[in-house]
Amino acid sequence: MSDNRIEGYARALFEIARAEGTIDEVEDELFRLARTLESSDALRNALTDEKIPAVRRQGIVEDLLGGKATATTTQLVSMVVGGGRGRDLPAIVDKLVQRASREKKLEVAEVRSAVALTADQQTRLAAALANATGKQVNLKVIVDPSVLGGIVATVGDTVIDGSIRTRLDNVKGRL
Amino acid sequence: MSLLSLLAADPSETHHWLLPETAEIIYGGIASVIVIGGLVKFAGPMVKKSMAARTERIQKELDASANDLASAQSDAAGIRTALGDIDAERARLLADANAQAEALLRDGRARLTAEIAELEAKADADIAAAAARGGDELRTEIGRVSASALDKVLPSVLDDATQQSLVENFISKVGASR
Repeated sequence: MSDNRIEGYARALFEIARAEGTIDEVEDELFRLARTLESSDALRNALTDEKIPAVRRQGIVEDLLGGKATATTTQLVSMVVGGGRGRDLPAIVDKLVQRASREKKLEVAEVRSAVALTADQQTRLAAALANATGKQVNLKVIVDPSVLGGIVATVGDTVIDGSIRTRLDNVKGRL
Repeated sequence: MSLLSLLAADPSETHHWLLPETAEIIYGGIASVIVIGGLVKFAGPMVKKSMAARTERIQKELDASANDLASAQSDAAGIRTALGDIDAERARLLADANAQAEALLRDGRARLTAEIAELEAKADADIAAAAARGGDELRTEIGRVSASALDKVLPSVLDDATQQSLVENFISKVGASR
């Protein structure tokens, strides 16, 4: 899909979520779904397979998100998948997150952690990243077991890597 | 009869018993002159020619002998020179052969020494390479086993408290940076 079309979808989703007054929740939920979609081949194949009827794909989305995400998020994802743009969902969501962050004059901070972070930890981590980068950040936490332990934070082009995975890889390299 | 009686003149004789008569002497003298002149006139050139031819023949023979002698002497000198050259050539050939033999022996020894040194160096290098390779393989194996062990051990070590500690440590370090 062209960048213009992705940008168009992102703008549309953003405006709908903002109109619904649930932009923060929708943004978070879409971000987590996009990362899940990137890491799960089975889910990505199920939502992007053109041979599966659109209704069936939308059913999968509702089964997956129903009760776990806001109705707005479920409907938006269902709309994108039903329109045959499931493959572009991560890119659309990234654009949406960027747009939302720009609206709030924040920089997206993608944080990968081996374990879920508490609200307090997220608040302190956002403050710490703001202090380190000099930018107010829109924290997006992804629970990623491949990190093994610690955190990898990406703010724009800056990567702060405190993961056990990286240290382990370094140790393996030296060995 | 004594000599004096013989020399005594016979009074019956008209002329001297020893000397001819004067006319006879004159005729005889003239005849002798004519004969001698004829001989000189006609036989002289022939004799002279014969003598000259003989002289020339003898001279030729002398010249030929001299030439033969010179040729023989030249041949002898050539033979002597050749003999001398042969001796010198033989000596030179022997010297060359000795020099070549010594050079071959020297080169052979040098080549053998170099080859032995090269083989020794190659053997040393092979031994060192084999040792290094063995060391590398051992290190690689240790690394592989260690990495595998880390992968197995880490999840059990990273309990919830450790995970929380890692997160807090990260937040503290990032917050303290800049």
